[in-house]
Amino acid sequence: MMEDIHIEGVHEAYFTPTVNFEASTGRCEISGESYLEETSKFYARLIDWLKRYIANVKGPLSFDFKLSYFNTSSSKCLVDILDVLKNYQNAGGEITVNWYYDDSEEELEEVEDFILETGLDINKIPME
Amino acid sequence: MEKIDDKYDFSLYEYHNLLQQNILVSYKGPIDERIMNVIGDNIELVTNDGNDKAKSKIFKIFMELAQNVWLYSAESCNTASGRKIGMGTLVIGEFGDSYTFVTGNVVRNSDIEPVIEKCEIINSLDRDSLREYRREQRRLGGDKKNSGNIGLIQVALTAESPLDIELTPVSDDESFFSVAVKIKKSAE
Repeated sequence: MMEDIHIEGVHEAYFTPTVNFEASTGRCEISGESYLEETSKFYARLIDWLKRYIANVKGPLSFDFKLSYFNTSSSKCLVDILDVLKNYQNAGGEITVNWYYDDSEEELEEVEDFILETGLDINKIPME
Repeated sequence: MEKIDDKYDFSLYEYHNLLQQNILVSYKGPIDERIMNVIGDNIELVTNDGNDKAKSKIFKIFMELAQNVWLYSAESCNTASGRKIGMGTLVIGEFGDSYTFVTGNVVRNSDIEPVIEKCEIINSLDRDSLREYRREQRRLGGDKKNSGNIGLIQVALTAESPLDIELTPVSDDESFFSVAVKIKKSAE
């Protein structure tokens, strides 16, 4: 049985996003703010979890991104996650990706660019 | 009042008056995550005339430009634990219907040329091409120099204005490099 990932978000000198990855349901959520001291290291753990889920559990994945702020370093890692999801989809995996964005043209453009960049279908949902 | 030292003819009052003219925030010194945290969390308080969108834009721009000063300034100090912290200057001004955000720091002339070239490319592109450029650069992988470039692309896209750059020689090897952007108070 695979473990879950639960990380409580903090807004201190660095901003850690809140992360909830659930192995039994395949529901994954990253929310809050992302500005980290070791961005790649933080996201590598999440990507490793996803790869193990895909290899072992082989179940559906439903991904919610609800980030109110992420810096450019984080955006690279978010693209890495989307790449993993896209590869899984190409291999027949069942994927749903919802991106909640702050209701503005600029943020919408950013989601559209993630779609263009990764070729993944992402549902664009304005944040309340 | 007698002066502390003959060499000390700096008037804080004049400096203060200079800053009174349209300047909301000014900082000179080391910039690391702690300083960024304090200034970043207070940006909202001083940009009262701007809408929420303008405030969030200034915050995003601040995070990228301050990070660049921290990482790339040629002037730096070291903490007790030996960590290098870049020094620089940061100003948020208010002019009519927009804010101006400026950061500046000393750079080695040998390092700055590619950055100037990047800024010129950024300023020559329309919005769609700039978005394409950001996608390309994001794909190039993560060395430090490159992440600074994405930061500048992000700043131009967020500000919806060109990067107003200035390079002033300070010695044979070094110059003062500044980046200014304008953000409309009624940003959409």
